[in-house]
Amino acid sequence: MIESQRHSYHLVDPSPWPISGSLGALATTVGGVMYMHPFQGGATLLSLGLIFILYTMFVWWRDVLRESTLEGHHTKAVQLGPRYGSILFIVSEVMFLFAFFWASSHSSLAPTVEIGGIWPPKGIGVLDPREIPFLNTPILPSSGAAVTWAHHAILAGKEKRAVYALVATVSLALVSTGFQGMEYYQAPSTISDSIYGSTFFSATGFHGFHVIIGTLFLIICGIRQYLGHLTKEHHVGFEAAAWYWHFVDVVRLFPFVSIYWWGGI
Amino acid sequence: MAEIELKTAPADFCFPSANQTRHCFTRYIEYHKCLKAKGEDAADCQKFARYYRSLCPLEWIEKWNEQKESGTFPAPL
Repeated sequence: MIESQRHSYHLVDPSPWPISGSLGALATTVGGVMYMHPFQGGATLLSLGLIFILYTMFVWWRDVLRESTLEGHHTKAVQLGPRYGSILFIVSEVMFLFAFFWASSHSSLAPTVEIGGIWPPKGIGVLDPREIPFLNTPILPSSGAAVTWAHHAILAGKEKRAVYALVATVSLALVSTGFQGMEYYQAPSTISDSIYGSTFFSATGFHGFHVIIGTLFLIICGIRQYLGHLTKEHHVGFEAAAWYWHFVDVVRLFPFVSIYWWGGI
Repeated sequence: MAEIELKTAPADFCFPSANQTRHCFTRYIEYHKCLKAKGEDAADCQKFARYYRSLCPLEWIEKWNEQKESGTFPAPL
């Protein structure tokens, strides 16, 4: 297999997942547009598309794990691909969230006369930043510290300890997501309440969505670590999850200061 | 024929650019704050009234007056 090729790259076998992912994306986009306009069957197509995309992600990445961990195709040269890819993906996510923070700043720094030139607009119930947001603000960075602990454990070859550290990371993350969910549930304003609601909930909502995705990624790393997939020298998947997690965690600080704290007073 | 004196609101350095929306809004609010502070018939407040009436489109003034009456005016007065 890998001994019979005279180069250190990975020429993948033909796979149906790219086309299935594309079909899923097509169904999602068309279904989404149909759902938002008065066409029959939009919701069904949208959900089918999303399920299809999730399924494709699951089987594609399962194949990557099989090819790398079980079949050994991921040489150092091949690992550079996922490494750089993860970094660039995270950079693109930063750009995405930056757009929402820009929108928030645009609306809040020079509020229009239509909302009375004040921020927050009159009548909007703001969440007290000293309550749940302040509690969540140390929880996520502690989770980031736990993931660093896990990384050091993996590098030192202490496999069991790494599993415990990952369990700690994920538990902290789930606690913080739980608190955030509770806070959304009893928030006095909604996304449709003036430009405040739109910018607040879209920025914090997308951040929350990224936290959930990051948590899922870390859970999978935890399972893989438990199953013994990760070694001291080779754990690109874990590193990608840790980088993503640190990104999510650092990004949390910016909305706390600008949206919750500054934007609420 | 008597000289007709034509005047408009003075240029305010706080609002230097072409978009004078905030200037209009600020004068409108200033007028109403003045009325609140000095009483309904104060003559000093008429200066602000002339300013906002020169700067603001009639539709906006009417809309804001309606909002004030129904208690939905968005700015604190």
